[in-house]
Amino acid sequence: MRVDYHDLVGVASLSGEFDLVQVNALRDRLLGAVRNEDHGLVVDLSGATYIDSVGVSLLFELAERLEERQLRLAVVIPEDGLVDRVLRIVNLASVAAIHPNVDGALADLG
Amino acid sequence: MSDRVAADQLRDLQRITDAALAYLPLEALLEELLVRAVAILNVDTAAILILEDDEMTLVPRAAKGLEEEVERAIRIPVGRGFAGRIAATRQPVQIRDLSKAEVVNPILREKGLHSLLGVPLLVEGGVVGVLHVGTLTERVFNEDEKELLQSAADRAALAIYSRLTERERGLADSLQRSLMPRLPELPAVSLAGRYMPAAAARLGGDWYDAFQLPDGRLGLAIGDVVGHGFHAAAIMGQLRSGLRAYALDGMGPGDVLSKLSRLLRQIEPGRTATLVYGILDAHGGRLTVAAAGHPPPLVRSGEETSYVDMPPSVPLGASRHVLYDDLVLEHSPGSALVLYTDGLLERPGESLDKGLERLRSLVGESEEDLEHLGDRVLDVLLPEGAGDDDAALLMVRALPLDAELQEGFPAEIESIPGMRRLLGRWLIEVGATRPEIDDLTLAAAEAAANAIEHAYGLAPGVVELRASVSKDGTVTVLVRDFGNWRSPRGANRGRGMMLMEGLTDAVEVIRRDEGTTVELSRKLGVAAAA
Repeated sequence: MRVDYHDLVGVASLSGEFDLVQVNALRDRLLGAVRNEDHGLVVDLSGATYIDSVGVSLLFELAERLEERQLRLAVVIPEDGLVDRVLRIVNLASVAAIHPNVDGALADLG
Repeated sequence: MSDRVAADQLRDLQRITDAALAYLPLEALLEELLVRAVAILNVDTAAILILEDDEMTLVPRAAKGLEEEVERAIRIPVGRGFAGRIAATRQPVQIRDLSKAEVVNPILREKGLHSLLGVPLLVEGGVVGVLHVGTLTERVFNEDEKELLQSAADRAALAIYSRLTERERGLADSLQRSLMPRLPELPAVSLAGRYMPAAAARLGGDWYDAFQLPDGRLGLAIGDVVGHGFHAAAIMGQLRSGLRAYALDGMGPGDVLSKLSRLLRQIEPGRTATLVYGILDAHGGRLTVAAAGHPPPLVRSGEETSYVDMPPSVPLGASRHVLYDDLVLEHSPGSALVLYTDGLLERPGESLDKGLERLRSLVGESEEDLEHLGDRVLDVLLPEGAGDDDAALLMVRALPLDAELQEGFPAEIESIPGMRRLLGRWLIEVGATRPEIDDLTLAAAEAAANAIEHAYGLAPGVVELRASVSKDGTVTVLVRDFGNWRSPRGANRGRGMMLMEGLTDAVEVIRRDEGTTVELSRKLGVAAAA
């Protein structure tokens, strides 16, 4: 996972397989990527090839935690892949803004 | 002493040592040798000191009339004192009056010795120890006596050396054995490895390794550290550990090699090694490979057997800033991948190309079974065992799957990536598309996660995966546990069920006393119900 900051929004990029084995290692780092002064967080899944229910639940948990602090979550999802299908099935859009690219997500949160 | 008597005595000495070499334990042999030396030379004491592995210290190994020397485990630095000087100069040393000489060993004075004669134990010009005799009265040893003592020393040296090399060989064998991996057992993947030590040096720098990565793919490595002996083997052990550590961290082959090159330069500047590291993804039918100055992998696919066209590369450790690139290849089920070291190919006075061609045609015409192939390659290419170089061979083949898939896995989450990959490979073979494979393997992984978390608690158990395809192209995947079902808890598992339903046409959970089966079905060739 890599985190870049664009003004007051962090962009956490995840690549490869976002599964139950990886999630435990990523959980704290993802939650810790949000700084006190930030407006929100972008999770960039452009490079992710796989996400299971544990990965999905981490995204929901992240959205919930951010909402408690009046912050917003935007998720960048590659179109037409498995990740896209999975996140549609679980309706991630109900808790996060979905964007096809990072620029759109940043514009939304900025 | 007349020449005649000296010659007889010499023969006497040789006889006992020749006969003894064969069966006497080393200690007994040295003891016997000292008894003879004391009698023949008519002296009061005799002792043998052996050079330690560090080549800086002599330790007494056997003594007559100086037994305390052995008991007290006196240590004498090479270069100092009487025995130390003999070892350092590799020349006989005679002391007529001990009271006027520098000695390190206090026992020589305590015993009241007056004169001493010592000679080096030499093997192939190198010192392995010292043999010395002493008298309580003043004595001047003549040339014959010096020669006699030297010939006893030569016998002792040979005996010591042969025992040491025997011990070294034992160590070498166990070290080499411990460095050869236990190959992982993966469903529908056949793996075989061979190692042939070098004829003379015994220990070499070649190795191979195979291990399952956390994501279920298979890591395969073969390498050759330049040089022989314990040192090369120790470097090899470090590279092997380094490779696994980087590989388990999820790095690709090229990145692993770049890191290893840096590691090798730090462990031992100037040392180089060649290596191939590949990751076989049977799920995707793909091989990702990188090489560092190593001969290219050989692939047998159907009727064709050919070397992978690797870009030129430098060995590990050879260059400061070097980046190795990944090469990605299709690797269809049934294909065999053969990794090897050059010890398998080289013959004196012959170009490497000839060796490569010999291996290629041999692999091409051999049986498919890898154990047979490994035996045959060694039999044909190294009919008299390895030459000056050791040789290693690692072969892997993804076995064609049965029309109906059935495989058991330990009920732990670490099994899931491998299970997904196996199902993925089966789905490729039944003609599923990439999205269909992704959807079905994820749905099956969710079912397996459910079973692992809810059927067994902490007790060990098994999760069984079955898959079949009907005539109309409907794939049925069964994930079965043999535990006591308890309903999924929490949002997590609710979402798992949601995904199973969304990614397949139908999900059925069948609960029986002996366990639970989740049945997932999806018709290939049409979009998912979701």
